[in-house]
Amino acid sequence: MRGFTISDFLTMLAAVQWTATLVVLALAFGAPLALLLARMCTGRSRIARLVATGILQLVQGVPVLGLLMFFYFGMPVFLGIKVPALVSVGAAFTIFTAAFLGEIWRGGIQAVHVAQGEAAACLGLTRWQTFRHVIAPQAFRIALPATVGFLVQLIKNTSLASVVGFVELARAGQLASAATFQPLLSYACVAAIYFALCFPLTLWSRSLEDKLNGAR
Amino acid sequence: MALVEISNVHKSFGEVEVLRGIDLTVEKGEIVTIIGRSGSGKSTLLRCINGLEQINGGEIKVAGELVHSRSTDLRKLREHVGIVFQQFNLFPHMTVARNITLAPVLTGKIAKGDAARELARKVLAQVGLEEKIDAYPGQLSGGQQQRVAIARCLAMSPYLMLFDEVTSALDPELVGEVLKVMEDLATQGMTMILVTHEMNFARNVASKLVFMHAGMVHEEGRPADLFANPATPELANFISSVR
Repeated sequence: MRGFTISDFLTMLAAVQWTATLVVLALAFGAPLALLLARMCTGRSRIARLVATGILQLVQGVPVLGLLMFFYFGMPVFLGIKVPALVSVGAAFTIFTAAFLGEIWRGGIQAVHVAQGEAAACLGLTRWQTFRHVIAPQAFRIALPATVGFLVQLIKNTSLASVVGFVELARAGQLASAATFQPLLSYACVAAIYFALCFPLTLWSRSLEDKLNGAR
Repeated sequence: MALVEISNVHKSFGEVEVLRGIDLTVEKGEIVTIIGRSGSGKSTLLRCINGLEQINGGEIKVAGELVHSRSTDLRKLREHVGIVFQQFNLFPHMTVARNITLAPVLTGKIAKGDAARELARKVLAQVGLEEKIDAYPGQLSGGQQQRVAIARCLAMSPYLMLFDEVTSALDPELVGEVLKVMEDLATQGMTMILVTHEMNFARNVASKLVFMHAGMVHEEGRPADLFANPATPELANFISSVR
């Protein structure tokens, strides 16, 4: 047994890079999927709407832990190959991000008045041009506070990856706790680091919200 | 060939039949004003002309092209048929200049940059708002926004302009400036179809007056004649109620 030292804390800080990796992966792959889902939900095709809405509802109704387990244990079974933990965990958070951001962005797109799309169409713009230049910029502004708010959720939820042994911030805390028998101190450090990551984002989201409300 | 040929157009929203066999032709250079009580189908008819609404029967031809045919490129058609809405529908996140030049640039009518800005300046001059070129819509009065919306249409050099109750959302003191712009367009020979409650405009500027009632063209003719001698009690009632 050994005491809790600064090097334990530094190890945790180093583990933040894996938390960050998960967040970046989830956003890099989840955000384009979210955009696709949001477009499908608000599009003309009935089938696309049904499919996208179904996916959103399904994923939102499953706990992130469930998604993690499914990809961690399921991918080797269904794909027949052993994948690194990073891949299965990354896939789970990608799906999580796609569903929740998809829902947020769907709301943003639908909050832009129908008449804006009509006006653009009446000027001879294609549907993509209308989305790109008229709908998306306005939807983005509306959805930005909620998007940043979701980022906070995502950062905190990556701690669940510790359950399958993926060493990120929370798992680093567990390891430190086990090595030092100082669970309270270890987890207090973990919590403090999460807070330091999330609190500025929360503040940013708030200020964005105020700006948006002020602009109306 | 007439510029707009509407024949036996039917249109329903669910169970409600709003257009019940409309026939109407508009020649090039004509200024046609559609009047009638709310719910008579005026705005719906206007929205059918540029394909914003589907129709359930009949046909509408604009410049010889069937608007509601699958083979018609509606997008191409709309580049030449401008519409101005009651609620302006400017793009709030763009400057006036960008509102005006977005469509001409994206549809390849004009190059980005100086040429586009020159176009914006030209059409803004037509509506008397050159100094607002870099303003955002939110910084303009209702009347100014509507004039920008008209300029935005003009930038596409349309051969037909549709006006859907364009002064109805304006404060009374702002109505005049918008009507003035429309009168100028009329004298320049623009073909216009308007739905309006401005009876003076209908009487003095329009070349043809159309009175819609219960989803049909109830009466049509020269404004002076219709106002002086309405043939039906419905139009007589309507005229006396809006005076």
